[in-house]
This record gives sequence, structure tokens and C-alpha cells, in this order.
Amino acid sequence: MTSVISRRLFGACAAAAVLAAGAAAAQDTIKIGVITDKTGTAKFYAEPVTEGSMLAAKIINAAGGVLGKKIELLIEDDQNKPDVSATVARKLVDAGVVFILSNTSTTATQQQQTVSLETKTPQLTPSNSGETLTTQIDNPYFFQTGPLFSYQINTLLAYTRAKQFKRVALMTDNSELGQLVARSFKAGLEKAGVQVIVEEVVQRGATSAVPQMQKVRAANPEAIFQAGVLGPEMVLFFRAYHQLGMKTPILGSYNLSIPLYLTMAKDLMDGIVIVDAYDREKPEVKAFEEQFQKEYGRPAFNLNAYGYDGVRLIADAIKRAGSLDKEKIRAAMQATKDFPATIGAKGMKYTFPPGKRTGFDPEGVVVRLIENNAHGRVVHAGQK
Amino acid sequence: MTRAAPWLAAAAAMIAVAFLLKDFGYYSDQYRKLMLWVALALGFNFLFGIAGQVAFSHFAFYGIGAYAVVILTFKAGLPLGVAVVLGLALCAVLAIAVGIAATRLEGFYLALATMAFAQLFLVVLTEGGAVTGGAGGIANYRLPALELGGRRFTLTGPYYTSLIALVLLATFFVFWRLDRSYFGRACRAIRDNPEAAAAMGVDVARTKIVVFTVTSVLAGAAGMAYAFVDNIVNPPVFGLENVFLLLFMVIIGGSGRHAGAVVGAILLYMLPYVLTPLIGHHQALVFGIVMVAAMLFRPDGLVGVYDRLRARYGRGAA
Repeated sequence: MTSVISRRLFGACAAAAVLAAGAAAAQDTIKIGVITDKTGTAKFYAEPVTEGSMLAAKIINAAGGVLGKKIELLIEDDQNKPDVSATVARKLVDAGVVFILSNTSTTATQQQQTVSLETKTPQLTPSNSGETLTTQIDNPYFFQTGPLFSYQINTLLAYTRAKQFKRVALMTDNSELGQLVARSFKAGLEKAGVQVIVEEVVQRGATSAVPQMQKVRAANPEAIFQAGVLGPEMVLFFRAYHQLGMKTPILGSYNLSIPLYLTMAKDLMDGIVIVDAYDREKPEVKAFEEQFQKEYGRPAFNLNAYGYDGVRLIADAIKRAGSLDKEKIRAAMQATKDFPATIGAKGMKYTFPPGKRTGFDPEGVVVRLIENNAHGRVVHAGQK
Repeated sequence: MTRAAPWLAAAAAMIAVAFLLKDFGYYSDQYRKLMLWVALALGFNFLFGIAGQVAFSHFAFYGIGAYAVVILTFKAGLPLGVAVVLGLALCAVLAIAVGIAATRLEGFYLALATMAFAQLFLVVLTEGGAVTGGAGGIANYRLPALELGGRRFTLTGPYYTSLIALVLLATFFVFWRLDRSYFGRACRAIRDNPEAAAAMGVDVARTKIVVFTVTSVLAGAAGMAYAFVDNIVNPPVFGLENVFLLLFMVIIGGSGRHAGAVVGAILLYMLPYVLTPLIGHHQALVFGIVMVAAMLFRPDGLVGVYDRLRARYGRGAA
């Protein structure tokens, strides 16, 4: 018994040694750390983003890499636990990465910033929309290119301005992100002089949203703003909406742009307008979708493109820095100007304005219509 | 002198490790967070394994400690020492309030009541506006410089790791002493049979409140140490998910035994980090299988396995 265990232990150690040797041999690459969530609650957002990142690295490497070297992505799972996220960020820094790409949740990205600031390692989140990520900590090494919540609500408001809504309902769930989205929606609505007359929350694990929707119906709002992010709970919301025969227009958060909703809430979402940052008619998107289909054998969607843009932005910064010096790469990233984006409205480009580390164009968010159970055409772009 | 020797040796060893790891950011960070998990597991083991109380508020008190020290120091502008004392007092007051209500509830109902408390705490954190920083938490602070004998110094790197080691050892010492006192025996008696314990003259209600308060305050102390590890506090870390992990740590290691809590915490903390490079995200599956197997075959945990092996082979070899 003991000898079997020790033999296995020896085998495991030998395997680990071989792996370590392999890593040491691959010194001639540019290491970029990727933090994703493979096992936690953000998995369904983080993993598609990471798929896009891997595709971008592959394409860049096939074209000769950057500064004559291949890009090597070191991918770590943070389980969407912020404290673990900071720990794996340290692991990546110790492994010699020149950049950290955070594809996980906003709070986890925030906690990683402790590490990027302390170790002076440039860090980018291509997908997080948290409003305070670049302002809460004065961290010159941190960059964000996801569309901020305020851009999302303002774009949605611009789209609905013509409709003159004065009294609306706000619907969310009790997840942290759902609460966060609801809060920024509410702030935006109130600033625009729109009154939120009823706010309802579907609890995680609920079995029905009919009681909440009855309250919404009784309050008789002119429109319903949907801010929830928990899939099954939001399906309950759509089902209750149909059960009660409601006709109030629904304006959905960015979260509804994830294709999974189209299978979970099949045919329940037609006619809803949603905020997105993806326009399938853009030439950049067409090219990206073709390559994605070739690589993964299935169609791409918006989240894939975020991770794709993230690695492209980092590769571009390294190229302009002309060296693997982290400080030079940071300066190059800050100097990013008019970098063509796959994400965003037609013609959108990433730029970090002086003194700012949010690179998403405020006019780059779009509103799309859901029709025939598919994320359809763009019906509006920008905050004006 | 001789009784203090093992404790001093442990402190020296743990501090030595802190300094050995000082140039390895990743391992230092692991070491710090692991020690905090061990401290929490020791407390949860005393509460659950020794006193038999199923409570899910342990991480909430960890969070109350962390948030209290940050809010009192950086939002209210109090000196760190005052903030620590007030934070611990807050933990004690809340624990007594929950504990008094909890003595009227037993088993399943105590679990539900403390779970509700833990959920309520998360709601307070996310709805707390500028005070708690909402879902994003509070960041952008640093451990203030301490003043001792007119000299100012800041605990960073291995020095801060050493402080966490001392917090862990102090926690262990308190539980170790309590376990070997009348109080510890009273706790075990209540766990095994509250009526019999009451008949023997144990004040069941008071003992329960005290054990809940002591474990909660020490969880708060660990939380204060955590607040300066990443210099950020945010709600998800203090959620229920981690409480269940804590429960698993204690059960896997061996409920009711200090060594079990230590072994369980180290094992389950390390498991994802060791398994992920080997089998990727399937580590979650392995975790589940290990848990079910442990419950089925070894309810007395790894320490129980060790005891059996020693009973079977130990004496023969010696």
C-alpha cells in the first residue's frame, strides 16, 4: 500500500519536474498572463472572453508574433474569488509576465490591482464595465476597455428620449453585479429626470417572478428597465411578463446580449431592445467571426470579441514600446490612440484620453433589437 | 518556561518561513491567506466540532472585523489601535446579540438564523453606499505607520506576514487553553447531550453564548489581518460560499480536533492550486468526490485515519 502511494507520488513529482523543465525551455516568448474564471459564477462571461484572447494570440503568432517573439498566454483560474484572483496575479508576475489581462469579474479585477500596482505590472480588463475600476485606486498600471455602465444607460436613454418616458420600472436580481447594474441604471435615469416608480428584485434561486411582475403591472410604468444578470432568474421575469399578458416595452441591460438567453428564454424576448457593444455588420466583426468559426467550429458572439481585442491591444502596446520593459509597455498602452476595435459601433476606435485609463469610446455603445429569437440589427448607436 | 517553549518554537518557525518566502510574491501571498484560513478553521472547529453549534456566520464576523477596521481607520479617521479595539468590541456586541437569540434556537434553526445574519451582512455591505463602498468595496488604503517608543515604522512584506503568524498562534493558543479548561469540557458535554450537561450543573445558555462570542471575535481579529493583505475589502470574499468551504475543511480534517482543523484547512486551501495545473477546471469535480467519499467512509476525518493507523501499526513498531 505504502509503496504504491510512494511510487505514485514519485510519478507525480517526476511529471511536475518535466512540466517545469518544459516551461523553462520556452523562455523565448512574450508572456502575457490571463486571469479567467473556469469554475466560479463568472465562468459564462469569462471563458468566452478568454477564447477570444486565445484566438488573437494564435493569429498574431501565425503572423510572426511581436518583436520577433511569439506570445505565450499563461492562463489562470481565479474561481471568481477576488482574494484568489490577487493570489494568481502574483503567481503570474512571479512567472515573468509583462502584462496581465483580466477576463474575470469586476470585483476580482479590482482586487488584482493591488498586485499590478505593487509589482508595477501593466494590467488590462477588456470586458469589465465597473464604473469605478480606474478611479477607486490611483493605479497608473491599470487600463479598462470595457463599455462603462454609464455609457450603457446613457445610450439606452438616448434611444428612448424620443419616447418621452417619465415613469419607469426597474427590475433586477440580488446578485452583486445585478445590484451594481441596477444602481447605475437608476442613477442615470434619475439624472435624466425619469422617475423610477417601482423597483423589483428576483432573488437568486426563486421559482417565480409573478408576484414581482404583478406589482410592476399595478404601478403601470411606461417602460421596464431590466438590470438583472442571473440567467434562470431573468427567464422567470420574461415568463411572468408573458403570463401576465404585459405589453410594456422592455429595455434590457447588456447582460441579455449573451446568446445563452436565446435558448433559456426561447421566443420570450422578441421585441426587446438591449444594450450591446457589437455590430455584426462591421467589416472588423465579419473578419473576426470568420476566423473564430474556423478556429472553434461555432459562431462567435460579443464576449469573444472583447478578449480578442484585449490581446490585440496588448500586442500593439508591446510593439510600440519596442521592448519587454513593463514601464515602457505601460506608457505605450497609455498612449494608445485610434486603435481599430472589433467591439463597439461602426468605426469605433480605442483611445486613452490624457489622464484617463478607460479606453472605450463613450459613443461606441449600440442598441440592438431582438427579433425572431436572435440578436438582430443595431437600431441606435451612441449617447446622442 | 518549558510550557511556553513549543509555542515560541512554533512562532519562530512560522516567522522564519515568512522571511524565507519574502522574495516570492506568490508563495508569500499563499502563506498569508493560508494562515488566515487556518485561524478561521480553528475557530469554526471550536464552535462546530467542540461545542456542536452549526452556525454559518463565521465569515460574516471575519468581514465585520475587516470592514470595521478599515471604516474606523480610514473613514472615521481613528487611530489604528482604537479602530482594532472598537472593531473587536463591535464583533462581540453583534455576536452576543445573535448568540442570545441563537440559544433559543437549536441545530437546524441556529444554522438558518446565522445564515440569515450572514446574508443580511452582505446586503448591508452592498447597500452601504459610501460607508462600505457598495459592491466594489473599499480600496486604496494602506496599513498606517505604527508608533512605538517615539519611532514610526510600517509593517510590510515579511513583517506583516509575521504579524499574521502571531494572530494565528494567538488564536490557536486561546482555543487550545479553552479546550483544556472547564469551559472546553462544558462545551463538549453540551455538544454530546445538553440535558445531561445541564443536570451536571453546566449553564448551557451562557456557555453557548460565550463560545459563539469568543469564536466570532477571533474571526473578526483574523478579518482585521486580512484587510491589509490585499489592501482591499469587498463583499464576495465574506459570502456564504466560503463558510461551506470552512465547514468542509473541519469535517475533512476531523471535526472536534485542533489538528484536524489545521490539516483540513491546509489541504482544502491548497487543493485547487495543486490540482488546477494538472487537471484544469475538473478540480471542482475532484473536490466534490473527495468530500462525498470523506463523509461516507471517514466521518472522523483525516485525523481519525491517522489515529487508526497509529493504533494498528504505531505500537508494534515502537
